Amino acid sequence: PDGTKKRRKKNRWGDSSDNKAAGLMNLPTAITAPMTAEQLDAYVTHLRVEEISQKLRINDVVPADGDRSPSPAPQYDNFGKRVNTREYRYRKKLEDERHKLIEKAMKIIPSYHPPSDYRRPTKTQE
Amino acid sequence: AGTTSKDMDVGRVLCLMNMITPEELMDAEEADEILQDVKEECLKYGPVLDVKMPRPNSGSRQGNGIGKIYIKYESSESAQKALAALAGRKFADRTVVATFYGEEYFDVGAW
Repeated sequence: PDGTKKRRKKNRWGDSSDNKAAGLMNLPTAITAPMTAEQLDAYVTHLRVEEISQKLRINDVVPADGDRSPSPAPQYDNFGKRVNTREYRYRKKLEDERHKLIEKAMKIIPSYHPPSDYRRPTKTQE
Repeated sequence: AGTTSKDMDVGRVLCLMNMITPEELMDAEEADEILQDVKEECLKYGPVLDVKMPRPNSGSRQGNGIGKIYIKYESSESAQKALAALAGRKFADRTVVATFYGEEYFDVGAW
């Protein structure tokens, strides 16, 4: 498609009632107590880790229609089964993001404990 | 910047967090779309004076303020309404976290 503008994503806003992960993590999202920039950063890091953990637990990993990026070419394993399914790709993306955030949280939050279902990747991939 | 001034809870500037990643902001077109989505939604709660969304530059992706969006309302009533309405909402599959922000810092872009 030459000269065609990239398709605009649909409006990114969604309802809180539709926000399953947020309901489950049960963490405040309206912060009215005074916090320093460092405290806010630590809190948002923690919250995002919890949010991803809930998403992985309830398998809410694939974005809604219209929010998705174009799919890459399919890859198959030795048995002819597709490995890079949509669900697999988005799950991997969230796991990678969570891993980075946990590394950060361990540095900035004293006595930080990663979620119980978090497994540190054994080796750096790729 | 220090944001612990006593009157921050009656301010008219909001700081929205956990909505965007530096990667999304690196794409100028996508960043413009994000800003437009946020402005549109924020106007529902009252007149907005200014919106600031710090963007990464070619040198650094990190930096204070990057990944946050700041909105200055005409009145603190609107800001309070927006805070209550936007916190916990979903934005691109992330949960919005909102807080008040010192107006004096917003005006000079001290993040």
